[in-house]
Amino acid sequence: MAAQAKIDVGGILRPQGRPDFSTALHPYAETLGERGAAHLLRRAGFGGTPDDVRRYAGMSARAAVASLLSVPSVDSIAPPPELVTATRPPAVAMDPMQGSMYAPQMPRRRPMTFRQHMQVILALQLWWMNRMLTSPAPLQEKMTLYFHGHFTTIATPLFPRITYNYNALLRRYALGNLRELTRDVSKDVAMLIYLNGAWNVAAHPNENYARELMELFTLGIGAYTENDVRESARAWTGWTINRRADTATFDPALHDSGSKTFLGRTGNFTGDDIVNIIFAQPQCARFFAASLLNWFVYNDPEPQLVDGVAALLRKHDFELAPVVSAILSCNVFYSPRAYRALVKSPVEFVVGTYKALGLSAIDQSALPALVQMGQRLFFPPNVAGWPGGQNWLTSGTMIARQNFLTQLLGSETLTSSSWLRGLPVASHGAARQLAQTILQGDVAPASLEELEAYLGGAGSAALASLSAENYDQRVSGAVYLAMATPAYQLN
Amino acid sequence: MKRRNFLLATASGLAVIANTDHVFARALSQTPLPGLPGSAGRCLVLINLYGGNDGLNCVVPHGDARYYQLRPGLAIDRNDVLAIDARVGLNPGMRSLKALYDKGMVAIVQGVGYPQPDHSHFRSTEIWQTAAPDRYQHTGWLGRYFDESSGSLQNLFKGVAVSKVLPEVMVAEHTDIPAIPALGEYAMASDRDLLARRAFSQEARDRRLPFSSPYLAHVMEVEGNAQRSSEELPKLIAGYTTKASYPATALGRSLALAAQIIGSNLGTKAIYVEHGSFDTHVSQKKTQDLLLTQFSNAVGAFYDDLAAHGNDRRVLTLTFSEFGRRVEENGSRGTDHGEASPLFLIGGGVKGGLYGSLPDLAATNMGNVRYTVDFRGVYATVLERWLGRPSAGVLGGTFQKLPVLA
Repeated sequence: MAAQAKIDVGGILRPQGRPDFSTALHPYAETLGERGAAHLLRRAGFGGTPDDVRRYAGMSARAAVASLLSVPSVDSIAPPPELVTATRPPAVAMDPMQGSMYAPQMPRRRPMTFRQHMQVILALQLWWMNRMLTSPAPLQEKMTLYFHGHFTTIATPLFPRITYNYNALLRRYALGNLRELTRDVSKDVAMLIYLNGAWNVAAHPNENYARELMELFTLGIGAYTENDVRESARAWTGWTINRRADTATFDPALHDSGSKTFLGRTGNFTGDDIVNIIFAQPQCARFFAASLLNWFVYNDPEPQLVDGVAALLRKHDFELAPVVSAILSCNVFYSPRAYRALVKSPVEFVVGTYKALGLSAIDQSALPALVQMGQRLFFPPNVAGWPGGQNWLTSGTMIARQNFLTQLLGSETLTSSSWLRGLPVASHGAARQLAQTILQGDVAPASLEELEAYLGGAGSAALASLSAENYDQRVSGAVYLAMATPAYQLN
Repeated sequence: MKRRNFLLATASGLAVIANTDHVFARALSQTPLPGLPGSAGRCLVLINLYGGNDGLNCVVPHGDARYYQLRPGLAIDRNDVLAIDARVGLNPGMRSLKALYDKGMVAIVQGVGYPQPDHSHFRSTEIWQTAAPDRYQHTGWLGRYFDESSGSLQNLFKGVAVSKVLPEVMVAEHTDIPAIPALGEYAMASDRDLLARRAFSQEARDRRLPFSSPYLAHVMEVEGNAQRSSEELPKLIAGYTTKASYPATALGRSLALAAQIIGSNLGTKAIYVEHGSFDTHVSQKKTQDLLLTQFSNAVGAFYDDLAAHGNDRRVLTLTFSEFGRRVEENGSRGTDHGEASPLFLIGGGVKGGLYGSLPDLAATNMGNVRYTVDFRGVYATVLERWLGRPSAGVLGGTFQKLPVLA
């Protein structure tokens, strides 16, 4: 990229007013209650089933977060079968930069090749979404999703295993050490391809990765000079990919072993040294602190909060588990400032809906809906990731969200949702239970009346009262209406 | 049966709301965006020839021997080229476009690109749509034009993307542009929406929500836009009769819808359509010739339709593609990702002819056509001389305009 790269994102809003900074990051002492529990489960994962919410409601923040932080080893996680049986990449696309986001015109003798590989990427998307839905440790998936939008790479469809391996790397470090993750991300095949590290050699340095490493991944603009970019690029030379493009290797012959001056220090630096020097900058802890608060608490967090979390990151040597634990347990996280203060991403909207209904698996039909909502997993819009906030919602993506609900809320879904089967037949009770379970009561009284009227026929003379005969139709309609209220778009 | 009951039940209650809103939407939708005198009724149609259209087999340098040397299996025979002059001509599939060219309605700008070209589809597409080769920008150049020109104006159809997903070029900070893949597909799928809409309007009035959120107002506004625009669009454009025979292709359908929206006078200033994929790494000729024929035929029908309604003078069409392709053909009778390529400006307001300079195939950038015209100069021309708005803020700088518009 050229010299003055700069991020320009609008539509990111901070809540009004200001928190009490003296206690904002202190542990929250109250019992969670249903709203607090649902809030925590939405932020630390993808929402809770009604059972989850009830179970967490009686816990203290400390106990609840401790339970969410117990994350199983990634060793037992198996990739989707489609990946295991995927064929080797076709020789025609040896330059992954030429790998197409459109179906290339393949010759007749292998007409399905690109499509088959794309099918593997779709299977990976579905596999990951189902992990988000069913994993006993949703926080692990939530952090993986965070890193996917932070240390961005874009899938090269002809090489699906690269995409899977990168996803597995992010998951392995979900609550691990940020410095070590940054070091390993820098040498991963997916990143070496995406930001051209594989083409960065002593004779022809390519500064793309060196620049984004500082600008977007660790420091932010203004914390380094153009010379630091050049010197870092020299230090990273030598990391490349093998001819089959599925493993990274270090080739000393391509490495620039001369002396470099980087962020005020001089030495015969390697890439690992660059990461260590970056993480020694106070700005690095502030950068990640702001990013984590933005992801978990609310957008555009105040500098006082950022400094507080930055101090925690330094204290714990960039180990994420204790820092994420502190963020999810603190006063400001449970304050009205943070409550419903984020816009649900499409992935959160879709997975959260399956969770709320108590469904056990997400099927293929969710994938095209997600495209229309504006979020394709493994295809962030650019190296800066999904901008979030207001940017998720346009009239087109709103229609896509509503139409996804319409498609999902058939009688088959109703039959698989145990709590909807048990809804009271009296419309008053049914409306209140829907509003409570789906929205934690975050609905205007007038809308609740509409919901009750719809369920029971009250106020609309021609509508029959709720009965066994019209139950499915009416309940699915009422769930739709509850999910069409503004609170449901907010996280 | 139950569904019918529901519709009957809600019809009386909502009829008033729907009618009121229809009048409201019509009034809103006819509010014009500001611009210099003369720009009021004008519309820009942007055609994305996605995948990387090979410029050399589109605007063919049939007078250049190097072209035939470097493309032994791909070059278009001199006798087949629709010659413009002794040096260049059009792909033989583009007879309709050539007819428009002969009427003086087509400007061909050659060698369009940007500094330090990126060969990734993703990044180069983003660069063309955001007009920001040197930075990552979330908003597109037309999105910024809408933000800059429309202020608090609520016209729901000031821009329309005829696509499934809003393209980056129309992503704005403050302006909600609908993505309408086809008339029937831009609709709430559920008849429950009438009730949802009522519940929403109740919610908007009822201030007793038990939470606050910095995003609440935006959610409600977009929800309202989505409901209203999807319900009103079919009614607002129902009075239009198509007066051309469009080819039965996706682009034909997209441009027919574009002509209908333009002819319905909704105050629409820009429409995005797309056509492709031009990513011809393998067996290029068959694919590209077909795509260019489809493009040319659809554009021909589009201008027939526009002319039959007297709209041809107020519609400027601009094409773009994320890059051209390598000069030399590859081993699979295709071409790999390249750099600069030609683009077309079509319409009544155009000063027809050839602009820019012929690609110099002897002085390539590592096998790629070097750019001689910065694409932002084309955008600046369109913004200032067609849409009547200043361009420096939208494009983040001042770029040399081209004399392509009358």
